[in-house]
Amino acid sequence: MPQLLSRENPASSGPPPVGPMAAPKVPHVAEEELHGDVPALVARHGGVPLAELRIAFPLPERELTSPAAVTVLCPALFAGTERHDRTAFAEALEGLGGHLDAGVHDDHLFISGSVLATNLAPFLSLVCDMLTVPAYPKNEVRADAARSADEALIALAQPEVIARQELRRRLFKGHPYATPMAAPAALRRISESALRDLHRSLLTSSTPVVVLVGDLQPARAKTLLEDSLGPWLDSRKKPIAALAPLPAPKPGPIEVVARPNAVQSNLRLGGAAPSLSAPDWPAATLAESIAGGMFTSRIVANLRERNGYTYTPYTATRHGRAGSYLVTGADVATEVTAAALVETLYELGHLAATGVTPEELELARHHALGRFSFQVATQSGLASTMVSLAVLGAGTGYLSSYPKGLLAATKDDVDGAARRYLAPGRLVTLVVGDPEKVEGQLSLVGAVTVRKPLAH
Amino acid sequence: MAPAHRATKWPRARGLANLGLMPRTRAGLGPVERAVLANGLGVVVVPEPAATLVGVSVVYNVGFRSEPEGRTGFAHLFEHMMFQGSAHVDKMGHMRTIESAGGIVNGHTRADVTAYYEAVPSAALELALYLEADRMAALALTEENLRNQVAVVKEEIRRNVLNQPYGGFPWIPLPALAFRTYPNAHNGYGDFSHLEQATVEDGRDFYKRYYNPANAVLAVVGGCRTEEVVSLAERHFGAIRGRRRPKHGPWTEPALTSEKHQRVASALVPQPAFAIGYRTPDPVGDLKSFLPYFMLAELLAGGEASRLRRRLLHQDKNATDVSASIGTFGDDAFMVRDPTLLRVVVHHPGQASTEKLLGAVNEEVEALASEGPRKGELERAVASFASSHWKGLAPLLHRCHIVGSVETVQGRAELLSELPDLLAAVAPAQVTGAAEGILSQHRAVYELVAERGK
Repeated sequence: MPQLLSRENPASSGPPPVGPMAAPKVPHVAEEELHGDVPALVARHGGVPLAELRIAFPLPERELTSPAAVTVLCPALFAGTERHDRTAFAEALEGLGGHLDAGVHDDHLFISGSVLATNLAPFLSLVCDMLTVPAYPKNEVRADAARSADEALIALAQPEVIARQELRRRLFKGHPYATPMAAPAALRRISESALRDLHRSLLTSSTPVVVLVGDLQPARAKTLLEDSLGPWLDSRKKPIAALAPLPAPKPGPIEVVARPNAVQSNLRLGGAAPSLSAPDWPAATLAESIAGGMFTSRIVANLRERNGYTYTPYTATRHGRAGSYLVTGADVATEVTAAALVETLYELGHLAATGVTPEELELARHHALGRFSFQVATQSGLASTMVSLAVLGAGTGYLSSYPKGLLAATKDDVDGAARRYLAPGRLVTLVVGDPEKVEGQLSLVGAVTVRKPLAH
Repeated sequence: MAPAHRATKWPRARGLANLGLMPRTRAGLGPVERAVLANGLGVVVVPEPAATLVGVSVVYNVGFRSEPEGRTGFAHLFEHMMFQGSAHVDKMGHMRTIESAGGIVNGHTRADVTAYYEAVPSAALELALYLEADRMAALALTEENLRNQVAVVKEEIRRNVLNQPYGGFPWIPLPALAFRTYPNAHNGYGDFSHLEQATVEDGRDFYKRYYNPANAVLAVVGGCRTEEVVSLAERHFGAIRGRRRPKHGPWTEPALTSEKHQRVASALVPQPAFAIGYRTPDPVGDLKSFLPYFMLAELLAGGEASRLRRRLLHQDKNATDVSASIGTFGDDAFMVRDPTLLRVVVHHPGQASTEKLLGAVNEEVEALASEGPRKGELERAVASFASSHWKGLAPLLHRCHIVGSVETVQGRAELLSELPDLLAAVAPAQVTGAAEGILSQHRAVYELVAERGK
């Protein structure tokens, strides 16, 4: 019996009842075609006096397997236009209360930004300048390339980044998704002419998705977008070819990626997952939540709250155009690497073999519905969700079909998803850590191979 | 120093008529309404009538500045223990109950506050208040759970600091260099030896002293009605006996009498970085003098057009990244008390010497001090700040703990709505004064370099 630090007990003795949970509130999304060939999604969301813009460009296979140019393109987009140098462009943006960013996330280049809603039109004009009359001055591009190389060096020193790209390499051998981030040396070699070519093929001539969310009138948004982005929309755009589907994971020995003297091991188990539009995605979400996708999950209860092996264990699905994959991860003290792997395998195997309890299922259902409500509750969250749905081909119908799917999923559906996606026999196991201290431990669990990280 | 907690000035809660109703200020945050319970618990409500979700935070007026010597990291460890069960809630019960109601939940420990917060569908408002009241009234502490959470916290520190390049930089080493007194200088994450020595008895003492309704603010933001919140707060928190409010600070810290410069080699970092720490005026007691320092940080490194980013990244091209911010973590300028630091952080590839880069930083501050802001510079910085500020407040879970924390430290959550206007009112001469203010100080410079032979 725990010792209560009680000065007096509260008046109430049991938890108060909770009323019925309201369906997630999702604003209406208008689907438009700008100049007849650029899809745009627009939603009104008046939470804060801002507007959120997303423009996503799916990357062709070439940029996925040779990512250096697109990596430098992102900062160099801000190096100025025919009308502004870098500073003038930044000043114009700031004066509007605007922020703009460009980045590569998995298989897309994203331009994302926000602005005080009253300044939306001049903000869009700046974006249009960036897309239609970029300057790419030689000196600036050289500096952006050097800085991208320095940033890559810093990223590659982070165990989280190493684990992520080593797992993708192991899961997707032979597929563009196995490609690691661009190496510093490759980044330094990128020239302004390479960026001009890439800008033309990717940002001018390929079909993007445009998303606008905010304190605005959707009925006027199409005209505003077409007027402000006109010169960019004028160029003819062609869709980027689809990517080859992801290969099925090939489980094998536990792979140790050497990081000598590491005080923690980064444990990663990866496998296949359904796409957002697959019929079993809602059930798989629930199985994932029960395994390690929420605090009240089996893996958190075991690895963190019972054993104290780790701070943030998790199970999560990553979605890409070529397919989806599931990762269970935990960063654990070096000494307990094998023990933590055994407990993770136990929880995943137990769930796959014996299924979920009815109580867990209801809890996970509420949790997933709630998480979705919060995901679309802000302008920024809604904009990011909408653009993901569009580029992943799921469509905006997902905003209503996903919550319905969560409500409809039965225990059989969730047990089936657990067997298909969580069974340890279907997963690849990778550990980033100190090989001298973990190889022996891990060999008690299964066959182990040790290798160096990808060279850069 | 102004009282950090002005609960005594608030009317007693006997219904809506007695609430201190404030006029609506402006976009971003609705009207702030408040009450105080008989036991001293401050209640702050920001109702948003159209919302279907509600955020609840309980912010305790204690952080790692208050932890006892020999017990570094205890305030944060104790935060973990608040999720380990109370009179009517089992271990994991808090999280389970919130998650099964479709909610999201977290907590954090800062220099001056410890915040607990959840966002739930409005139908679960009372449930969230019940859970918070139960752990304020009667926490269950066990040896087994304490040892478990010491292990979890050690993994948190390994993950975020010891196994991470630039882990804990600069929030742990910079105050250790810039300050001399224990409350301000020590590592808030804690030494492993101190965490391992922590006892249930320590927890009981800390709880008794600081986890007291008179030392806390309950903030409720979003889909709720004020009278409903006050009546539910009375029902669930009203029976908790109030005790004397503990003393906080003042954390008096003498100014440095000479420049401090420390260079540390790390095997984990691929390239060097350094952080400069400058003292600011008291953010709470002298907000008027503090705001120009906040503007100064914005002008120095707030965006791509800012002075240091232009100079180091785009003109000299010898840095990878530059930032300038105020507070322990750089995002908490209005949730921290005196003393605190304006920090300039530079990452660079090592082609230029630290001395050269420090010289460039100084030249830019000197230019601002002698010539003042350029035409339009302040206006642009305010517009840019306002838009980030509103965006930062958009997620309900953030909004509710920020409201609770600003109320706790500054005494007025309304400050969140007023900040863009207050910053717009900062005069060029005040920014020049702030630039002179940091130039006239002995600064602290903490430098991280790659270990040789790596």
